[in-house]
Amino acid sequence: MDLAMYTDPSVLTEILLQGLVRGSMYALMASGLSLIFGILGVNNFAHGELFMIGSYTMFFIVATLQLPFVAGLVAAALVLFLVGMLIERGLIEQLRKRAGRDWLLDSFVLTIGLMILLQNLALVVFGSNRLGIPEMVSGSLIIGSIIISYERLIILAVAALTVLLLWAFIRFTAPGKAIRATAQNPEAALALGIDTMRVHTYTFGLGAALAGLSGALLISIFPAYPTVGLQPIVKSVAVVILGGLGYVPGAIVAGLLLGVIEAFAYFTMSAGWQNVLTAALVVLIMIFRPYGLFSSAKGERP
Amino acid sequence: MTLEVRDLVVGYVKEVPILRGVTLTAADGLVTVIIGPNGAGKSTLLKTVYGYLKPSRGTVLHDGREIAQIGPKNMLREGIAYLMQGHSVFPRMSVEENLELGVWIFRGNREAKQRAFSEIYQRYPRLAEKRHTLAGSLSGGEQRMLEIARLTMTGPKTLLLDEPSVGLMPKLVDEVYEEIGRLKKRRFTILVVDQNVKKSIEIADYVYVLKLGENSHHGPQAEFKERLPEIIREWL
Repeated sequence: MDLAMYTDPSVLTEILLQGLVRGSMYALMASGLSLIFGILGVNNFAHGELFMIGSYTMFFIVATLQLPFVAGLVAAALVLFLVGMLIERGLIEQLRKRAGRDWLLDSFVLTIGLMILLQNLALVVFGSNRLGIPEMVSGSLIIGSIIISYERLIILAVAALTVLLLWAFIRFTAPGKAIRATAQNPEAALALGIDTMRVHTYTFGLGAALAGLSGALLISIFPAYPTVGLQPIVKSVAVVILGGLGYVPGAIVAGLLLGVIEAFAYFTMSAGWQNVLTAALVVLIMIFRPYGLFSSAKGERP
Repeated sequence: MTLEVRDLVVGYVKEVPILRGVTLTAADGLVTVIIGPNGAGKSTLLKTVYGYLKPSRGTVLHDGREIAQIGPKNMLREGIAYLMQGHSVFPRMSVEENLELGVWIFRGNREAKQRAFSEIYQRYPRLAEKRHTLAGSLSGGEQRMLEIARLTMTGPKTLLLDEPSVGLMPKLVDEVYEEIGRLKKRRFTILVVDQNVKKSIEIADYVYVLKLGENSHHGPQAEFKERLPEIIREWL
């Protein structure tokens, strides 16, 4: 292989951007997953299907109704916020009332079931066609030999803005503080009058909204079809493990990192190897840092 | 305010009750201590009073109102605060954020919140100094103080203290009991469960002994001080 390619700024930027675009999807998906795990103790395997509903919502708003893409993004986030709250109240809360001792396994079975149900529902309602949008906006930014499409810039900007808003929400607002308190000591939170059941509901809604938003945002890369959520869920579970279960900042950094690593793997090896690399990384993390990249071996976090 | 527990039966599993008909009264403005051997159901009693467990029989009355069904999230509004066994600080949040969560029920009432904050910082200047420190990096004694301080922010009338001195070194145990003494002077109704029988009886006005989920003895503090060695011998 020609080594000079690696020093070519336009090639490097291309790989890096490709990685960051994928990585921002991983970050959005995984931070929602991690948030839900941290508060509810549920590993939501139906998270990819929330992504899928987001893609369909985007397609409906932008292609069918011909509204601007911003409307599609907002609609996807709102629709999934509601869907998420419904799932929590209607299924997860009901299971919690009846669950036995092994909550992780019980909720695992529930979300796997939900995943299959939603995939088949989509197949019945929308069929198996891929409903895509070639691009949200056309044109590119050209700086010398470097070409960056506006599409990618928008994806990156929206992802960055969302992560920033999520951080500010959790850090500074009252409901955000209730989320953190519930994650750190649910019994104490309840004793202080925090309605932890409500915290569960809106946390799930929030995580679902992040999945919906990433489905909508990446519609030009992942068109809407019933099983479009498979790849995103597999990768974001890997990201959650890399970043540390339940640790949202870890999920964001690990998501971007994995995106870039995969892009380089895709470029230097051949297609398909990036998946092997991801799986290998997960195995290594599980052996050497079971609580994630950013915690000590005992599981302490900054 | 007076807290009354009448004929309370409760268990984690229906067939195996932990409390089998306990009756006691924590009188207004006094310190009532519950002692008893391991497995007597002392902590279970406090948990049930605070609404974490629903009794299968019996009642809990606070100032004459039935509270066994209202659940923990409404207890501060009812005027009851609970120091739970073990840690109840939020370790990855600052002291100030911990106190903010202590006045969660004042949400939307800025004035009440500010009043509670200025009072708490005046009463506990060490917390004011450390307001930006993460609660998890405070020492064990400081965390306990934060927990106790947070307990009183919303102006409750009745305090339930579950093992307030457990896991602390002797010097800190003394400090915790000095603090409980100050709370006693402020005329809170206090119901205490503690492994440290000697210390807890010293501040008690009235003492109950539980044994295997049932009332065993009870009486005013003076009576108990003499009979204590005899009662403890019975447990062994």
